[in-house]
Amino acid sequence: MKNRLLKPLIEKLNPEPQFNEQSNALDIEQKEQDISNDLDKNLATFTSIFSVPKNMDVKVREFTIHSINKRAFIFFISTMVDITNIQESIVEPLLEAEQPSEKIPDIVSYPIETTVTNIGEITEFITSGGTILFVEGDSQCYAFQTTKIRGRGIEKSDNEVIVKGAKEAFNEKVIDNISLIRKKIKNENLIFEAQLITKRSKDSVFLAYEKDLVNDELLQTIKDKLSSLDVDRIIDLSILEQYLEERPRSLFPTILYTERPDRAASFIEEGHIVLLMENSPGSLILPATFWALFHSPEDHYLRTPYGNFIRILRVIALFVAVLTSSFYIAITNFHVGMIPPDLLMAMAGTRERVPFPSIIEVLMMEIAFELIREAGLRVPSPIGPTIGIVGALILGQAAVQANVISPIVIIVIALTGLSSFIISDVSMNFAIRISRFLFILVAGFLGVYAVIALFTAALFYLVSLKSFGTSYFAPMTPHFFSSKDLIIRHVPMKERFRPGYLKPKDMVKQRKG
Amino acid sequence: MNQQPAKLGIREYVSIAILMVGAKASEDTPATLYNQVQNAAWMIPILSAGLFFIPLFLLLKTLSLYENKNLFSVIQKLLGRYIGFIVCLLIFVISSFAISFDSRTYTNIIRTFYFPTTPNIIIYALLMVVCAYGAKKGIQHIGSVSYLMIFYFVLSLYLALILSTQDSNIYSIFPIWGPGKLEVLKVGTQRLTLFAEFFLFTLLIPYCASNKEFRKGTWIAFVYVSIQISVCVLIFICMFDVTFGGTAFPFHTAIRYVSLGSYLPNVEIIFFVMWIMSAFIRFTAFLYLNALMFGHIFKIKDFEILIPSLATIYLLIGSIPEAAIDVSLEFKPIIAMIAGPAFSAIAIILWLAALLKGDFKHGKNRNSM
Repeated sequence: MKNRLLKPLIEKLNPEPQFNEQSNALDIEQKEQDISNDLDKNLATFTSIFSVPKNMDVKVREFTIHSINKRAFIFFISTMVDITNIQESIVEPLLEAEQPSEKIPDIVSYPIETTVTNIGEITEFITSGGTILFVEGDSQCYAFQTTKIRGRGIEKSDNEVIVKGAKEAFNEKVIDNISLIRKKIKNENLIFEAQLITKRSKDSVFLAYEKDLVNDELLQTIKDKLSSLDVDRIIDLSILEQYLEERPRSLFPTILYTERPDRAASFIEEGHIVLLMENSPGSLILPATFWALFHSPEDHYLRTPYGNFIRILRVIALFVAVLTSSFYIAITNFHVGMIPPDLLMAMAGTRERVPFPSIIEVLMMEIAFELIREAGLRVPSPIGPTIGIVGALILGQAAVQANVISPIVIIVIALTGLSSFIISDVSMNFAIRISRFLFILVAGFLGVYAVIALFTAALFYLVSLKSFGTSYFAPMTPHFFSSKDLIIRHVPMKERFRPGYLKPKDMVKQRKG
Repeated sequence: MNQQPAKLGIREYVSIAILMVGAKASEDTPATLYNQVQNAAWMIPILSAGLFFIPLFLLLKTLSLYENKNLFSVIQKLLGRYIGFIVCLLIFVISSFAISFDSRTYTNIIRTFYFPTTPNIIIYALLMVVCAYGAKKGIQHIGSVSYLMIFYFVLSLYLALILSTQDSNIYSIFPIWGPGKLEVLKVGTQRLTLFAEFFLFTLLIPYCASNKEFRKGTWIAFVYVSIQISVCVLIFICMFDVTFGGTAFPFHTAIRYVSLGSYLPNVEIIFFVMWIMSAFIRFTAFLYLNALMFGHIFKIKDFEILIPSLATIYLLIGSIPEAAIDVSLEFKPIIAMIAGPAFSAIAIILWLAALLKGDFKHGKNRNSM
């Protein structure tokens, strides 16, 4: 009802801005046409589209194919192609062919990609690293997939560090990423489906899923969501993530971003859908629940007791990171009776000379800690560790000696800071760090009561979050059939089912016996 | 996309029921029971449960005839439009006053025990704001939160009870009949209100996964809760003995009294955390039920919009008693006297109406076909 009343008003107050734009109708019209039979005309068209002499890396090579006695030229962007490959398997065979009546596909040893006629398609092909061969008198041209884009090799995962298990991480080349997943799932049902999502820079997303597992309805929803995007460009998966999320302003993430192919593969095998994109050293996993964001791949690689040990540690860390500072404030300000008398005396003694109320102390140190953390991330790596030492040791020690902070606050902050590192997912980590500040503020207002009030409200909020129709705490509540891999995981032999909230086509992943 | 039907599973429903009814052991109910029947107070929950079993059984039987219809639709169907409307309104008014005075009781507890210098209205308003927010999220989400919390709530309750037994004396239960068997029976009938929420839960039938699951869940929660309240009262009697009469909120006195060894003398905050959380969930569910009733009576489809306004009204009604003691001694007893017997009477009347109308026979014919 609010929307019905307010929307027209808001629209009236904020009209869509009008711009005096130059029309590109001619360009668009040109791209919709087909190429002509005339070689010179084609040459002129493409040199003008790519502004050839000015554009230093776009190359045109003209020559004559003696065997059929026709002129021809190839067109490519030299920084995106494999030049030796073009030389050896396209140009040389064409120049050296001797049999008179051969057709082009018979001469060129390069696996022919396609023949194309549309100018728009050809430009798209060239910009993605293809090579085009035009032959005199031919109404079509030959397109070769010669892409060789420079990029980082496959390296170790930086942000999801584990001790045991595969180390390789995704890189910026989507081809490499796909092959990394293919390497882990050797199954013909694994599908990588490309979908174009942006208009101007033609970014495409690759949906990876197993045809015989994934829920078709879920797949269709994701495809619809992707095709409903109307943007000029999306540069990276992390930005796509924000476009896809149901509540982009929410503190809590609802899509899992991982840079580990083994993790992506294991989610695909559960029936999730994974998105990959060129230029993004990671993958998106949809739908994601709280548990997916909370677990780490290490949990599964370690033996069951060890894996559960670090899980329980992480649960404790989660609560410590969120609640310790606020409980410190609440207890010292409102419920002093809880502290054993000796400790209380000691605390009161050290606080004697500190002029600030404890909430100011805690906030100061929390912000200082966040500063140290961000600074440590951003400085060049040789200085990184120094920042930690300077920040944590010197700043902390000096602050205590200068009577700005009481020593117990240092303990509290160090504890929360340390705990917040244990949550490995970047987004979840932020959610926890930010919500900590909210808890500190309410604790200063009304002690434990307000903290719990906020906690309850937060729980209500969290259970109402949805990731592509999946509740945040599924399969715990609402309950779904699953292998119960939530807080505690079982031995792998007992994890026999795929998560029921995905409604996969095949629920059982391992039969009994 | 609505991949899963937004239904309340049996786990969630049982959790709500245990949190809503079981929480009664932790407020002033045990104290009022003790003031009425002294040492026999622990029998009352079981006795009342036994008495309430009959109307509840009949009610569930009646409702099972009408698949996926809630209490109010059935009332209006069986009793006609006008009488049905009045009965529904009566139920709504009773439960509105119940939620107002109950929430005020909780505010009193929080204020008396933990925040003696904070104004009542701030504590009360915070309680209502959180509950209104939760209730607006809908019953499925209330159920989810209850399910997430129920284990810790029950665990902390038992921990508190076990710690309380350290300094208690089992012989305090004698004389076992308290003021006499007749008196116990009389109070037992009056205290049917202990389980009045189960009557209201039948409003949730359309939101449950199935009618069968609802019935199963009701019985599980009913049996569990009556035992839990009874055990709580028993332990309080053993712990406080004759001073119980002067203890308004025994659970909170008990958790203040107990200690974890000699190093942690005051552990009440740990129990307080769990208790206050259950209180939030309890009133959230209660508020949702009331909004549901209101929406049904006045045919408002988007009744969830009403929740904030209803919460404000309940906050205002709850603020009427000036002193904390008034709530326990004057306002709540009225509701406690009326609600249980009235709800039982309605349940029996509904069953009779269905019987007279011959709906049971039709139901049987339907089944046999």
